[in-house]
Amino acid sequence: MVEIARNVDPDNRALYEGIPAADHRLEALRQLLVGGEISELSRVTHLLDEPEQLAAAVGNVLPDATARASYAQLGEALAPAVERAAQRSIQKNPHTLTDILYPVFLPAIRKSIGEKIDQTFQSLNESLRHIFTWHGLKWRFEAWRTGTSFSEVVLNHSLVYRVEHVFLISRSSGLLIAHVTAENATSEDPQLISSMLSAIQDFVKDSFNEKENSGLDTIRFGELRLWSEVGPFATLVAVIRGNPPEELHEVIRDVLLRIHDESSQALERFDGDTSQLPGVETQLQTCVELQHADSKEGFPWLVVTAALLVLIAAGVWFFLSWQSGQRWQAYLSRLETQPGIVVSEQKMRGGQFYIAGLRDPLATDPQSLLSGTEVDPARVHSNWQFYQSLEPEFVLKRLTAALTPPDSVRLSVVDGRIIAAGEATTAWISRARAAAQQLSAGGPVFDISGVRDVSPEERWQAYVSRLETQPGIIVAQQNVRDGQFYITGLRDPLAADPQSLLSGTEVEPARVHASWQFYQSLEPEFVLKRLTASLYPLDTVRLSIVNDRIVAEGEAPDTWIDRARAAARQLSVGGPEFDISKVRDVSPDARAAEHWQYYVSRLEAQPGIIVAQQTARGGHFYISGLRDPLAADPQALLSGTEVDPARVHSQWQFYQSLDPKFVVKRLTASLSPPKSVRLSIVQGRIVVVGEAPAGWISRAQAAAEQLSADGVVLDVSQLRELNLAELNHLREAIQTTDIFFSSGRVVPGPEQTPVLDRLADQLKEFAENARKAGVTARFMLTGHSDTTGRETANASISAARAETVRALLNKRGVAPELLLVRGAGTFEPAVPENENSRTGNSTNRRVSVTVNLE
Amino acid sequence: MLQKKICMLGGFAVGKTSLVRRFVQSIFSENYLTTVGVKIDKKSVAFPDKTVDLILWDLAGEDDIGSFRVSYVRGATGLVLVVDGTRPATLAVALTLRERVEAEFGAMPFVLLFNKSDLADRWAISDGEIDELRQRGWQIYLTSALSGEHVDDAFRQLASMVAN
Ligand SMILES: Nc1nc2c(ncn2[C@@H]2O[C@H](COP(=O)(O)OP(=O)(O)O)[C@@H](O)[C@H]2O)c(=O)[nH]1
Ligand SMILES: [Mg+2]
Repeated sequence: MVEIARNVDPDNRALYEGIPAADHRLEALRQLLVGGEISELSRVTHLLDEPEQLAAAVGNVLPDATARASYAQLGEALAPAVERAAQRSIQKNPHTLTDILYPVFLPAIRKSIGEKIDQTFQSLNESLRHIFTWHGLKWRFEAWRTGTSFSEVVLNHSLVYRVEHVFLISRSSGLLIAHVTAENATSEDPQLISSMLSAIQDFVKDSFNEKENSGLDTIRFGELRLWSEVGPFATLVAVIRGNPPEELHEVIRDVLLRIHDESSQALERFDGDTSQLPGVETQLQTCVELQHADSKEGFPWLVVTAALLVLIAAGVWFFLSWQSGQRWQAYLSRLETQPGIVVSEQKMRGGQFYIAGLRDPLATDPQSLLSGTEVDPARVHSNWQFYQSLEPEFVLKRLTAALTPPDSVRLSVVDGRIIAAGEATTAWISRARAAAQQLSAGGPVFDISGVRDVSPEERWQAYVSRLETQPGIIVAQQNVRDGQFYITGLRDPLAADPQSLLSGTEVEPARVHASWQFYQSLEPEFVLKRLTASLYPLDTVRLSIVNDRIVAEGEAPDTWIDRARAAARQLSVGGPEFDISKVRDVSPDARAAEHWQYYVSRLEAQPGIIVAQQTARGGHFYISGLRDPLAADPQALLSGTEVDPARVHSQWQFYQSLDPKFVVKRLTASLSPPKSVRLSIVQGRIVVVGEAPAGWISRAQAAAEQLSADGVVLDVSQLRELNLAELNHLREAIQTTDIFFSSGRVVPGPEQTPVLDRLADQLKEFAENARKAGVTARFMLTGHSDTTGRETANASISAARAETVRALLNKRGVAPELLLVRGAGTFEPAVPENENSRTGNSTNRRVSVTVNLE
Repeated sequence: MLQKKICMLGGFAVGKTSLVRRFVQSIFSENYLTTVGVKIDKKSVAFPDKTVDLILWDLAGEDDIGSFRVSYVRGATGLVLVVDGTRPATLAVALTLRERVEAEFGAMPFVLLFNKSDLADRWAISDGEIDELRQRGWQIYLTSALSGEHVDDAFRQLASMVAN
């Protein structure tokens, strides 16, 4: 124990140095047992010595310093170097910076520090735990035997795992970029697995509202674990069998980083073609090769922690300034692509942005371009000078404003030249020519050779032909005299104003002398307009022109229809036809009449109802006719027709409809056919099919005869007499059964129980079959006695026996209403009484059964 | 290896799952559809100069267009829009789904399948309507997952469209 204490703490070593080794054999044992440990541990201690001092110093100051340093101070200290580095890096390739910074971002850092600490403690604990255990001794022996270090043996035994598959999956599409497999490992289609994994990750993300970057870290199925590491463009998933050490995360992350480093653009643009990403598999292969964990040397985790803390501070600052620089750059490039804006100078200092340059007054306002860029406008200091841009589109705008070209001239930019084409007056052309000359110095060419000079007469003629195509305008006469234009004609007040048509034609209005007479054009569209104005058509009426006719469609009250009809008559001479036949009259009376007609037609369609007469008078409706009592009630049919029942006056006579449907109803009511019979209507004849007792059949035949007088066919030829053969057999069995009694008793002895049981079953079966055949079976239970004793006593005994049997049968499930009882006393003996017998004949003490069919 | 992600889109019970089942032998259980909301299958389509692996994503439950997970379509190169030829309303559903996808990820090639062509007596889409859609240059097929009619043609067509 002293030895161990010495080895664990160097102070103890000094403390116990003086104690001599009592026994050299103990020394030998010590060498054998913990010799490796001693050298191992002293080496670790030594290593930790100096870093500890360093780390302590840094660790004491750093958190405090970082916390207290103001943004500006920290920024100033780091600014020049970081800024230059960032700028150069961004100019070279912005992705590099993103990828370098990506593992440094906060969550990753926190995680990796945690893992580091865990991992260090884990290996320490692991070693300490095994020193004294049975395994410890065994492994110590193994280490001695194989000549490896004890900790390596511990690791080999406690951390056994194998990376079987590695998938690299595109984050955007879930498509497989690359896949490598360990020897002998198999799996289903890796492409499918890859897509499914990404779908599951999406699913988890959606379902639990996870943030963008954190996917499913680990999934575990028994022996298998899926570890995934998410990068900007690709996710790496390792399938591991066994117990992987924590540090494997780091290895996987490294591989993913390296892949992003080398091929970030190809990853980003990955479209399913893996040939664009060669060499990735080689990188992945390194993951699969990691089958066994190597024992690691003591890890200087304090140093790493300190270094990481510095990195965090730098990284965060770096990221923020890089981000705002990035936004500023985006704004600049946006400005530079704007026509009419020239940036002559820009810089970024202390978080402020300075910009100077030239802008055309017609160009977009640089200030307004800031919106949407996330650059803080308050930090932007700009100095813009106005200038006239010579870019063709600006020159075009200015020319358009200055020259106000007529409608007939079109200005456009073609290959950097401004081209005017069309027709214009001499005056305009000369103004344009002057402008073109002014422009010449340095500006774009203004080419007006494509503009044709048109004479005032030509323009006049163009105006006149324009008028002539106008509907509702008829030009009667026009001429030109002494530079003056004269025109006369007709115009509809609803047609376009000839005066306003002058604008844009370059004909001088002052020289035009027009004299227009109003007239009413008969062109359909004008007539339509006038009709619309005079008739005020309702929302429910639509007027339209169909093949030069004016057609009104929809619904209107009779007043409107009358007015429309009058208008149509007025129109007739020479004008278009006005067709109002498609407008439905919806005045309340017309509507009520319509509803009434609907009701009548509904009645007429009813079987068993004959409408003899009906009229509508003064808002009231009168109807008379015949109805079968079995037909639908005419009153009930009113509901849903919107006819007011209070205004309906009806007079119905009952009659017996010979419609087969009604005849069937009546027959069903009067003949009450058994269930085994079916009445149906076949081609207007009533056919009766099935089995029935003979009595019923003869009643049906009588009915058929009666009906034939009315011309209705009732076909009973297919009726068959009910077959009671089977029932007869059963009836026989029932009627030969007797229940016997001891002398003077009204309850049968126990030996009668099976007889009663069987009888009950037979009765039930018979009743059921009879019911099916459409007849009712009833059973008469007759009690009997022997001749011993007085006659009155015998009569009551016999009745009591029948009652008892009825109760016993009822108890066995025979319906009581089917069982009738009577006492026959001694009057119906089964066998003649022996006069000499003392006790009377036992055969006569009984209850007998008879079957009645109704 | 050339792979393309393809999404099956269409209303409820138009036959997406059946069409995929017709076109490939699945390895995943259809339970995924109800649990994760998506089932993935693969089919290699060979052309003279190359082979394309179509990774088919069959999404569940788009009946309610609001609940449709657009995020599953991210990274897709092509769409199979499925309409039930016996239910005209499913055409509007398919077109709306396509619009949503295009609004999110931009235009992408697609084929439009009028499925259940075997149910001729209940067919409810007129030839004129289909012709009109063809006029827009769309690739349209009348398919039946039941008989297999034109199913392969449609997928092959889409494969050739996304392969370039
Ligand atoms: N007759 C017929 N039935 C089909 C066809 N395709 C699918 N179905 C049936 O339509 C129903 C819905 O199919 P399913 O594939 O689950 O539709 P999903 O909801 O779009 O995936 C199922 O009952 C299928 O059997 C087809 O082409 N013809
Ligand atoms: Mg489905």
